[in-house]
Amino acid sequence: MAESDRPAEVVPAAQSDRPAEVEGAPDVDRSTDGPPERPDRVRRRGLDLPFRVLLTIGLIVAAVLPLAIFGIVVIAAGWESNERAVTSLFALAIAGAGFFGLLAAALLVGSLTAPLRRITTAVERVAAGESSPPIHLTGDDELARLAESHNRIAADAQRRNAELAALLTAIAAYAPSQGVAPLVAQAERDARQIYGLIDCQARLGNAQDVALEERIPGDPGPVRAEIRAGAETLGVLTGHVPATRDWERADQDLLELFASEVGVALRNAELFGRIESQNAQLRELDAAKDEFLRGVSHNLQTPLTSIRAYVEQLRASTTDAETDRRLAIVAEQSGRLTRLVRQLLTVTRLEAGVLRAEPEVIAIGPRVRRAWEALNATGPNFELSDESRGWLAVADPDQLDQVLWALLDNAVKYGRGEGKVEVAVRVEDALGRIHVTIADGGPGVSEADRERLFTRFTRGAGQPSGEGTGLGLYVSRQLLRAMDGELWLEPAEAGRGAAFTLSLPGEPPGDEG
Amino acid sequence: MIEHRPRRILLVDDDANLLVVLAEQLRDDGYDVATARDGQEALRRLEAGWPDLILLDLMMPRIDGLALARRIKAEADLPIIVLSAIDTADSKARLLDEVAEDYVAKPYHYPELRARIQRVLRRLGDRIPRQSLVLGPNLTLDLHRRAATVAGAEVQLTPTESRLLQTLAANLGEVVTTETLLARGWAETEEADASYVWVSIRRLRQKVEVEPGKPVHLLTVRGVGYRLVASRDDA
Repeated sequence: MAESDRPAEVVPAAQSDRPAEVEGAPDVDRSTDGPPERPDRVRRRGLDLPFRVLLTIGLIVAAVLPLAIFGIVVIAAGWESNERAVTSLFALAIAGAGFFGLLAAALLVGSLTAPLRRITTAVERVAAGESSPPIHLTGDDELARLAESHNRIAADAQRRNAELAALLTAIAAYAPSQGVAPLVAQAERDARQIYGLIDCQARLGNAQDVALEERIPGDPGPVRAEIRAGAETLGVLTGHVPATRDWERADQDLLELFASEVGVALRNAELFGRIESQNAQLRELDAAKDEFLRGVSHNLQTPLTSIRAYVEQLRASTTDAETDRRLAIVAEQSGRLTRLVRQLLTVTRLEAGVLRAEPEVIAIGPRVRRAWEALNATGPNFELSDESRGWLAVADPDQLDQVLWALLDNAVKYGRGEGKVEVAVRVEDALGRIHVTIADGGPGVSEADRERLFTRFTRGAGQPSGEGTGLGLYVSRQLLRAMDGELWLEPAEAGRGAAFTLSLPGEPPGDEG
Repeated sequence: MIEHRPRRILLVDDDANLLVVLAEQLRDDGYDVATARDGQEALRRLEAGWPDLILLDLMMPRIDGLALARRIKAEADLPIIVLSAIDTADSKARLLDEVAEDYVAKPYHYPELRARIQRVLRRLGDRIPRQSLVLGPNLTLDLHRRAATVAGAEVQLTPTESRLLQTLAANLGEVVTTETLLARGWAETEEADASYVWVSIRRLRQKVEVEPGKPVHLLTVRGVGYRLVASRDDA
């Protein structure tokens, strides 16, 4: 699997990297926790004799020396007849013998235990998981062997620590975006590098399909570990360790840890790939939708352009009042259709993030009146109270028109065509903003509707589903926000229907400057 | 300026219905109108003689409107107004700045279209520089792409700001009346008055002057209007 992209030099390099370890010999230079340490040489004090011989001599000295002293004293006592002198000589002999015995024992024990203490400390360090430099003892006795086995254990522990560190680094580098096949190849490369495995392969599929290999003495030993993600087995990682290298339980544990991490990474990569392909599908659909809307835009706006142009021309030339009234209706309806198409296109442009506002200064009162006239609404009366005191709003004129049409159209629709549509323009001097409140004479907005009013495709309760696009308030709020404005619903008030306020940045009245 | 002959407009659109009615409307307003159904026909008409203005639909068969506009601009600085259905991709509108003087969305409102045609034709004599106009160490105008470089930083100009600066730059150093600026900046807006100019100039100073309170380029001529001047002043 993806063997071809393995660099040819990786395997020999990995092996030549650690010949000492394969031999089981200490290799202090590979210590991971700091600069190389000098071998800790323990020279034995006094005679450089094997441990057993030294111990024997020590026991003899400790037992014989006091006896000898005691004997000398007893013999000396034989020459004296004074009984008191004999008694004191005995006491002196016992004390002397005891003293020399203890002294000799202490010296021996000291010289015997110095290397033992050293070894004990070293073993404790290994047990604590620290790196321990090898101990070199001359000779071939028990202590030397003890030191030797410490050295081997310490070197193994150090090697496994290094392997664990390399393993963690390798795993941390696995990204789901790499994809499954490259990850498998990467895992194979890492297993070779970290464990010095020969012909390492990660195979996906049923682990049982990969036959177990027998170990043949003198040949590289087969190793394997199941690649798992949670309870599920995804495949198996196989390879061989050099014949000279011991493969212990701890090594197997490390390999299994690695294999299970590889499994998790593969599972993530698989999920990532699935999401990616779904995203690609969505992008395709989105592009198709844009293309469709572009077509709608062209195919609806082109005939609308002709209709409006002809109606305008006919109205300009007709003198008959009834014909003019009818043509006005055609103009109004085609205008409405035009606004709906624009609203739809605005939604897609908002979503695509390609809409930009070109802010200009605008006298908001006259603009609202013009928008009302463009609606050509029959039914409710229009009342405008303009207290802008010469302030000009700053907004994109075309986008502001869309907002005003949507809000005024709503006011007509939800005001049930009765009463009046009231618009109030006022200036918030301190904020430097202009507020426009548009209120209708309808029943207002129910509590349930208030929350979802500004979301897409939302219509007021009790509104026949065929009416409106459900986009007006959503588009209006988004457009206003894009030009540093805001749109909100005023709290319910007796004697008034729904009241929406739009807020825009304002400029105080100018002079020539 | 006295009109010696009717202004010629070449109308390019693939919608035959629209060509007929729009040509009639324009002729009623005294323009000399030629029409073309596609880019190739438009190029043939251009060989016969250059109009004063081209009204161009962007979505056309055979030669794309944008490609046609580029070919025309490469040969002569002929004013172009793009007349096109609003596209879902607004980035196209940016491209238009490069080749078109103005943009009118379909379906258009004829009085507004007429106002824009008049404005673009009036601007014919303004000699808009297609290159950078360096007005001092802290101000360079690139009006053909609606941008200015102010103290080393580029700022984008709105269409109106760009039009005001074009009018002022065409009369560099000389005073331009507030009425002229109003007519050039807001031809199609009925409710515009002098305060539109005042406030817009104030906003423009915020953009193009290093110290808007002490303008060195965009100067007021009390009771008359404004003038744009070059200045060596570093302030």
